[in-house]
Amino acid sequence: MQRMRDEMRLRIQPERFHAIALCAVASILCGSAAARAEDASSWRDIETKYIFGFTTGSGIGLEGEKEFTIDTIGRFGKRDGRYEATETKYEFEFTPSQFIQIEFGALGSNHDIRGVTGLDDRNQVAATGAFAELRYLAIERTSNNPLSVTLGIEPTVRLTDETSGMRVRNYEFETTVNADLELMKNRLFAGFNLLYEPEVTWTPTGDVQREATAGVSGALSLRIASNVVVGGEVWYLRHYDAADLSAFTGDAVMLGPTLFVRFTPKMFMTAAWNSQVWGREVGNSLPLNLAEFQRHRAKLKFAWEF
Amino acid sequence: MVVMMRKLALAALFAVAMLPVSPSLAQQATEIHVTYSKGQFQPSQVSAPADKPITFRVKNLDAKAMEFESTSLRVEKVVAANSEGIINVRALKPGRYEFYDDFNAAARGALIVQ
Repeated sequence: MQRMRDEMRLRIQPERFHAIALCAVASILCGSAAARAEDASSWRDIETKYIFGFTTGSGIGLEGEKEFTIDTIGRFGKRDGRYEATETKYEFEFTPSQFIQIEFGALGSNHDIRGVTGLDDRNQVAATGAFAELRYLAIERTSNNPLSVTLGIEPTVRLTDETSGMRVRNYEFETTVNADLELMKNRLFAGFNLLYEPEVTWTPTGDVQREATAGVSGALSLRIASNVVVGGEVWYLRHYDAADLSAFTGDAVMLGPTLFVRFTPKMFMTAAWNSQVWGREVGNSLPLNLAEFQRHRAKLKFAWEF
Repeated sequence: MVVMMRKLALAALFAVAMLPVSPSLAQQATEIHVTYSKGQFQPSQVSAPADKPITFRVKNLDAKAMEFESTSLRVEKVVAANSEGIINVRALKPGRYEFYDDFNAAARGALIVQ
């Protein structure tokens, strides 16, 4: 009976996601009309780091600024059964100079897995690990140069596997290039990311798994009011069973809408939804890559500056 | 693998440490004096030469605190009532850089670098 309910959920979900995507497109169209009506020249400059969803903008904050954020990423849907996993970052972020931003914090996770081939059933909440991030602004935007580029590294230690929820020892070293372009002053922005994320995992049985994810993204965000930005992004991700990108196992394309809202000068939120629209697994002719990636992913982040 | 990751992390930290992280101390900074009174900057537009560090001296004459802030200058500083705040800014490329009081949406100014 439960299995039937799960199958029904999986059939219903894509329609719900299409409805969400349509709502997002409608809000962008309505928003662009509203944006045309409002005078953007009176708006303050915007910090671009969080306006592109999963794609990270080049902004590094302001020297002297400190921020506490709660950043949750959810991953939903595998080939069969029920799969819901979230990972939350409890993060402290500060900008000690006009070129560097530093972040660090703790990770918590939740796994609700039932009847997924290759994964143990699990329903757990766990303290997962810790991370730190260093970002360096390499190219800065000026009123004469619309391009801004930031380089980032993010080492992470996990005691719970991101995908399965199993107890492991996992070390990840994410490296990114975050770039954005101001296409229309204060109004329209394009964001681009390059990602290389090698990791190594020791399982309870003593096995060592080495893998890497590489990716590229593009995003477009429109500021429809002084405190609201809407947009869309696309990610192309590749997975390898080796850190040197020598053992390709599959790839996927994720696509979806993004939203940024600043509630007060010192508080904002960002949200994004990505659905896998294309994917392939090496050795599997079925559509989509649901072995290394998920059917959908969501991001919800709240930040308080002080 | 762990050793390789440690080496990579150390190399990255070393490389970042070699990069410019603060306004150049070797060059004499251009001083800009701005007063903040009745919720407005005076003057509201200031100028400075390009490629030289800048020091803002912001005198808050109002009876409540203000926050001098600028996204493009990448600085923020709370200046208490009836006191002066000093904000150091890196050497800048030519262009227009807006600043404002984060506690008062109406208070805005601009730095023109040429």
